[in-house]
Amino acid sequence: MIRHHPSETTLAAYAAGSLPSALSTVAALHLARCPVCRRSLATLEATGGAVLDELTPVPLSGDALSRLLDRVDEPAPAPPPILNPDLPAPLNRMVLGRWWPIGLGARYRPMRAGDGAWGGLVLAQPNRSLPRHGHAGLELTCILSGRFADGSGEYGPGDLSEPVVDHDRPPLVIGTEPCLCVIASEGMKLRGLLGLAQRTIGY
Amino acid sequence: MTQPAKAPDGPDHAALIEAIAVRRDRAAFADLFAYFAPRVKAWMLRAGSGPTAAEELAQETMLAVWQKARLFDPARAGASTWIFTIARNLRIDSLRRERHPSDLMPDPLEEPAAPMQADHVLAMSQQEIRIRSALAVLPPEQADVIRKAFFEDKVHAEIEKELGIPLGTVKSRLRLAIGRLRSVLGDLG
Ligand SMILES: [Zn+2]
Repeated sequence: MIRHHPSETTLAAYAAGSLPSALSTVAALHLARCPVCRRSLATLEATGGAVLDELTPVPLSGDALSRLLDRVDEPAPAPPPILNPDLPAPLNRMVLGRWWPIGLGARYRPMRAGDGAWGGLVLAQPNRSLPRHGHAGLELTCILSGRFADGSGEYGPGDLSEPVVDHDRPPLVIGTEPCLCVIASEGMKLRGLLGLAQRTIGY
Repeated sequence: MTQPAKAPDGPDHAALIEAIAVRRDRAAFADLFAYFAPRVKAWMLRAGSGPTAAEELAQETMLAVWQKARLFDPARAGASTWIFTIARNLRIDSLRRERHPSDLMPDPLEEPAAPMQADHVLAMSQQEIRIRSALAVLPPEQADVIRKAFFEDKVHAEIEKELGIPLGTVKSRLRLAIGRLRSVLGDLG
């Protein structure tokens, strides 16, 4: 059962398209499993439609329609290939690096999101902490498997963590299974081992 | 170019999209273009694109409307909502291409939508109409926060700064606004 959801501001930014894509990817993983947030998203997207209707039109160049009609029979662009069939959408089509050890038995697999925010997969062992990345700006984590706990509660598969304040304790993997999660942050560039791993694939 | 007679309500636009899907109807496309292309361009400008990019993205959006018309499902989204999501996704894509021109990037927003249960959902064009009237009667501070989310390329802290109110207040206004909009849809699940 999903117990932890993104904030309204994060959902609204996702609906509006102003969330960097590393963060959108993490939010999408939660949305795929959370009917409650999908309903809110549908409401927000319908609001986007209403906002579009309200806008004062800005004319296009005079021949825009005829130039477009010349192009309508072009084939639609193909979707990007599935690169990682073992991972859920949309991660399955993301460019991912290899796994890098980042200490304490944890590993990090960076993704290239393409718009400045960074993110990737983290695998951490039971009774170990997840790496902390020093908060500046929004940071999202979605669990794919395993569980962790932090000052705000316990998290399981599908749960989304969006820390509001810096907890003094980093999340701790609980249970007997390793915890696989996807993290993303619009914070500053990474330092340390995580940063080295991220630089192999870019931001 | 003519304005469709019954704009901006959904049913006509949905029928135009279906005419494109079924018959590749160029006249229907021209009507749809006349209504939506200048609005998509306006939205791109408000969301931070320059005039050239906004014009191009409006055209790309309409091209995608033609190409994807068969995927339009009026039970899942009204015409304006559907076209808004296409425009939004193309904008995200163009921002990423500026940075990694050679990469084909997936669209995080294209995948997750497991279908909603159609029997619980009003005809979505009805939803758009209801949302429009609900937006009009929302307390101004709530409507302001929700519009701002769509107009500027801003998240969180920046909205906070701009409105001069704490982030907690932004969030609670958004929560109230979303709750209000959800409830006018009779969609409290
Ligand atoms: Zn949720």
